Amino acid sequence: MSMAGPVLELKNLHKELPRKDSEPFQIFKNLNLSLRDGEFVSIVGPSGCGKTTMLRVINGLMPRSAGEIFIDGKSSKDLDHQLVMGFVFQGASLLPWRTSLKNVLLGLEGRVKGVAEAEQIARKYLDLVGLSGFENNYPHELSGGMQQRVNLARALAVDPRILLMDEPFAALDAQTRNFMQLELLRIWAETKKTVIFVTHMIAEAILLSDRVIVFTHRPGTIRSEFKVPLGRPRSMEMRSDPRFLELENVIWKQIEEEVNSSGGFANQ
Amino acid sequence: MNDKRNLTPILLRFGSVIAGLLIWHYVADVVINDSSVLVSPMVVVTKAYEMLVTTGELYPHLFASSQIFFWGFVLAIVVGVPLGFVMALSVVVCDYVNPWMTTLYTAPRIAFAPVLLLWFGIGAGSKIAIVFLGCVFPILINSYFGMRVVNREYVELARSFRLNRWALFSKILLPASIPFILAGVRLAIGRGLTGVAIAEWFGATEGLGYLVFFAGQTLNVPILFVGVATFAVLGVIGFELVRRFENFMTPWRKSSQGV
Repeated sequence: MSMAGPVLELKNLHKELPRKDSEPFQIFKNLNLSLRDGEFVSIVGPSGCGKTTMLRVINGLMPRSAGEIFIDGKSSKDLDHQLVMGFVFQGASLLPWRTSLKNVLLGLEGRVKGVAEAEQIARKYLDLVGLSGFENNYPHELSGGMQQRVNLARALAVDPRILLMDEPFAALDAQTRNFMQLELLRIWAETKKTVIFVTHMIAEAILLSDRVIVFTHRPGTIRSEFKVPLGRPRSMEMRSDPRFLELENVIWKQIEEEVNSSGGFANQ
Repeated sequence: MNDKRNLTPILLRFGSVIAGLLIWHYVADVVINDSSVLVSPMVVVTKAYEMLVTTGELYPHLFASSQIFFWGFVLAIVVGVPLGFVMALSVVVCDYVNPWMTTLYTAPRIAFAPVLLLWFGIGAGSKIAIVFLGCVFPILINSYFGMRVVNREYVELARSFRLNRWALFSKILLPASIPFILAGVRLAIGRGLTGVAIAEWFGATEGLGYLVFFAGQTLNVPILFVGVATFAVLGVIGFELVRRFENFMTPWRKSSQGV
């Protein structure tokens, strides 16, 4: 693990979809971003700005149209068969026919030698997300928050270099969401992962991150970035800190401008 | 509360069966009162008891029909499930098989029966083929459909974990399809039993289909009804067995009552 260089580096990343009878549909363009080891970076922006697509392109779920992705200095194209990234999906992407334990095992099967060893790792991560004792429950027996914990444990269990999180708490109620944010902070502090976190909630982005990146409207590109002026560990009380509120305001104004300059909210 | 809720459907079903039998009895004995047209369920039960316990003459028919059904059914699963999978995974194969599948599925099977008889002779072969034709399409179509409608998120999940093709199939596509396949198997039971009846109308000398056909020809109403009732009971048992197997195979689904 190289500590010197960035863990993830995007260079002029570009994504468009071809269309019949017209110019290609640009999703995002000219993305340049670099994350250092253990950094927590959030992406916010108007809906449809391409932030989710960016995560999917970084993970290789979708091909890029142009640009480069480097992980620890190596091109992601050379790393495609290695599991260097964990993806936490927005929806309940737990496999309903697998118990919590088996869901966490999904990425470990065939990678870790020995069933017992793989199970031990899976149990460790279920314990980390606070789900000891729920190993043999099926997803439908778990609450939404618990399901997202399993989701997180599953992504972490393969010990990825980078964790990509796509609005993982969007479907949760406000209270569960707050608990999960604190849980994520705790887990992140314990695992020291490099994280890209996509969200549409500005407060969530500020509370969790070292840096918050604001996207323009489509085709999305980086409009501005802010270093979060708050120490760690973070707490819910910080949400009423003047620096927190000011940053929230500034980011909100920028997103509002983006929405208005794209033709207003009605066009979204 | 929970007990009460679980008990209600059972009582409803039981009550429905009893009511049906009472109406049947009333219509047979009071309204029609002609044993050459319709007999009371009591007569059917008595006759069935006689054929099962006293003379035992029902067993050879039951055995013959069961055998035909079993082989046709098993063959349909063995052919239908993999073919459905291949169709789901390959557009080329799907387009290639589709016209034949549609034709054979929608054409009345009874019209095929004489043709199959001609090809396979009056032995077990033609009968098994008729049952097979009845069973294979619901199984094939459901296996195909089950694999086609697998949640895209699961496939992306597999991709994000860099699962290879075999792991994608065995860990995602196959388990996701199992409820659909078993629903197809369940539908196949009814169609398979219809197949048995059709198969045994043509040139058979034993079997439940033969029994019903023969009793109909000779106006033996009690035996006719024993044959029909046996078919019905076999259908219910088969349906229930597959349902239990479904629950056993898919413990992750919220246990579902009813059909």
